[in-house]
Amino acid sequence: MRCSPSIVTDMIHVFTYGEHFYVYDTGSGALHECDERTARYLKGENIALSEEELSEIGALKREGLLSAPETSARPLKSSEIKALCLHVSHDCNFRCAYCFADEGAYHAAREVMSLDTAKAAIDFLLRESGKRKVLEVDFFGGEPLMNLGVVKETVYYAKERAAALGKKFLFTTTTNGLLLDDETVKFFNEEMENVVLSLDGRKEVHDAVRKTVNGKGSFDAVIGKIKKFVRSRGDKHYYVRGTFTAKNLDFSKDVLFLADEGFDSISMEPVVTDIPDLAIREEHLPVIEKEYERLCDEYIRREAEGRGFNFFHFNIDLEGGPCLQKKVSACGAGNEYFSVVPNGDIYPCHQFAGEAAWRMGSVFEGKIDPALRAKFAENSLFTRHKCGDCFAKFICSGGCAANNYHYAGDVNEPYPLTCAMMKKRIECGMHALAERRSRENSHKN
Amino acid sequence: MIKTIAKPAEKKVVGCGECRSTCQSACKTSCTVGNQSCERVTREQKIEEQK
Repeated sequence: MRCSPSIVTDMIHVFTYGEHFYVYDTGSGALHECDERTARYLKGENIALSEEELSEIGALKREGLLSAPETSARPLKSSEIKALCLHVSHDCNFRCAYCFADEGAYHAAREVMSLDTAKAAIDFLLRESGKRKVLEVDFFGGEPLMNLGVVKETVYYAKERAAALGKKFLFTTTTNGLLLDDETVKFFNEEMENVVLSLDGRKEVHDAVRKTVNGKGSFDAVIGKIKKFVRSRGDKHYYVRGTFTAKNLDFSKDVLFLADEGFDSISMEPVVTDIPDLAIREEHLPVIEKEYERLCDEYIRREAEGRGFNFFHFNIDLEGGPCLQKKVSACGAGNEYFSVVPNGDIYPCHQFAGEAAWRMGSVFEGKIDPALRAKFAENSLFTRHKCGDCFAKFICSGGCAANNYHYAGDVNEPYPLTCAMMKKRIECGMHALAERRSRENSHKN
Repeated sequence: MIKTIAKPAEKKVVGCGECRSTCQSACKTSCTVGNQSCERVTREQKIEEQK
């Protein structure tokens, strides 16, 4: 596949948020706020700026913060594996209508991973991780707590093996929360770097799609357990992660509901499905964009009042974020990150799991299909040619390979609807950042 | 009028590969590389703070 980084100059994104005018300089990654006249001038309108105004623009250009040439940074090329997603349970105690994983079964027989397979996966990761010191394992499903014994034994085995090799594991579990009990909470708080808890928001929204195997809504069964767990979490990471569908396009209410319930680390994702009454469609986009603004306004208001929360997609780190090499390197699926299913087979990531064409090997074979891996290793921002003139490309890095494939049939073909939502969230995140800076400056003065 | 809100901090080391695999950061569908922190910088800051 062709890999030809294009050097583009003068790519600036001028956008408005309410009465604010912003300029994001793609080449440098700098964000500026300006007045309407400057915004219109930078958009190419015939506006006569004063000498002082032109001088400000000239100074930013000389500093490399406006109309900066794009990076010629090359993607990170490594054969070291950083992370595995262990599908310890291809079974689930929920039957969520929108589940991309076929309600946990991944279009095959329901099964759980044996400890031998999990240990083989850990051995495989340690062997293939080269000089890398910090490795990641994500326990995933289905519902991983349906195979808690294997999760625990795998953690202990991995830590012991890593210590002997001078390496360290960071563990994450994604769970629906139904099987959280005191013992599991203690184990998670001792061993899990991060825990992702699935909760969609308001009871009626959650219950409409997230049902138990008996067909009943699961909200009442999990909300207390998840709240109790989060209260016990201290300063350790967690995310309450929801999904919104066409049925709750007013999803800002769900995010704020979660915040009102006491959760301060929240993610809310658009559903990935082709089920007609749940799927997000292009005609929903104007409503969704307004909804992100509504959420952003309240997000800022609460932050200003000292009761803010972290919303994953508005938390754009323009200052301390990744280096350019990372930003052009795509997500790493199929090259530095893989999923391992219960029988030990390896796939590029969880969203490809069970699709025969994407099987890349097995932890028992100890090797990965070199042709498929090369295809994923080559993926970068520069193989996603439609991203070339997008202002957001160094922030989203070309998006999700699996989403691209499932929507457009090509891992390098971005799905326009996903892109549009991403761009709106980024603009909201930038506005929230500007408002935060403004508050900090007024406190200083 | 135009004023700078944010610009990337200069990094001593780039391309070290210490960063996490993107999809593991929080959610499992639509990731945003830009809302990750640089792992190496974060780690070095923590060490500095503890001194």
